[in-house]
Amino acid sequence: MWPQRLPSSVTLGTVKIPGPAMENYQKASSVEKPLAPPVPGLPPDTLEMRVRDGSKIRNLLGFALGRLESESTRRIVFTGAGRATGKAVTCAEILKRRLPGLHQLTKLHFQQTEDAWVPVVPEAGLDPLTVRRHVPAVWLLLSKDPLDPNEGGYQPPGAPPGLGQPLPRTPPHTPQPKRRGPRASGHWQGSGGGSRGETSRRP
Amino acid sequence: MAENGEPWGASEAELDPVEYTLRKRLPHRLPRRPNDIYVNMKTDFKAQLARCQKLLEGSGGARGQGGCPEIYIHGLGLAINRAINIALQLQAGSFGALQVAANTSTVELVDELEPETNTREPLTRTRNNSAIHIRVFRVTPK
Repeated sequence: MWPQRLPSSVTLGTVKIPGPAMENYQKASSVEKPLAPPVPGLPPDTLEMRVRDGSKIRNLLGFALGRLESESTRRIVFTGAGRATGKAVTCAEILKRRLPGLHQLTKLHFQQTEDAWVPVVPEAGLDPLTVRRHVPAVWLLLSKDPLDPNEGGYQPPGAPPGLGQPLPRTPPHTPQPKRRGPRASGHWQGSGGGSRGETSRRP
Repeated sequence: MAENGEPWGASEAELDPVEYTLRKRLPHRLPRRPNDIYVNMKTDFKAQLARCQKLLEGSGGARGQGGCPEIYIHGLGLAINRAINIALQLQAGSFGALQVAANTSTVELVDELEPETNTREPLTRTRNNSAIHIRVFRVTPK
């Protein structure tokens, strides 16, 4: 149980406050600290897609594709934080596969959120709480026009992710699956789509 | 979401051994170099963070290797968040000595559905998942 005397600001990580402990409080507001765009100088016709935890990828992509194909925008920014981070990355990946030839810029940051919790029943001794959370967040820019290749996080269209140089003189890696028998083997897929995984065959 | 001809509630294909082929095999063009870290959700977060820190300090202090003092952090699916967390915390704790750069990609995962009853051919289902590759590298302060 939360003690009733708490400092008025509590910093937590990404852990959700468990239910029974906060039954005396309800959330009054949740304010996200606005983020300055990591890349300055974006043209104002950039479409900004804020991906939330409950966003449906189908809806997001339908809108984004419509705008891109109709030439009304040439750049799209996907932003997602916390649980929506993976979803934002997935949106961008699917978009890249549907529309080849997009340049990508990926930036990472922490997103600060301040939640204000007020007591449900205004009892004396329960202070309003301010909970500050910071969660990992991603900022993804997809552009039809070429971007600066020296910028950190740049990925040219259709290229596999820049993973640096492989080691020289390394023996080919052929492990056996730990389960039973040879199985289907997938492999890393570059961002340009292309060949799918191999089909599986049973012995 | 099954694309086979059987109805989803079919009692035949009960077992669903999810085959993360990536766990068994690393990307074939990228054998695991000493500076590759693959993040998962099972290992303790602090342990993975400490491992990255040790690798960065080690590779920075190593002499005569000729390799760049950089590490690559990879995360798949749910571990994307954790990978970003680790990378950003490494950067925050380095007082500006480290920079991060991220790339994303799509990875194919293959599920094999084994029919529980006798010999029916196993079905495979391919699905895609997102992955992130974060490069953490040392920069010389200007």
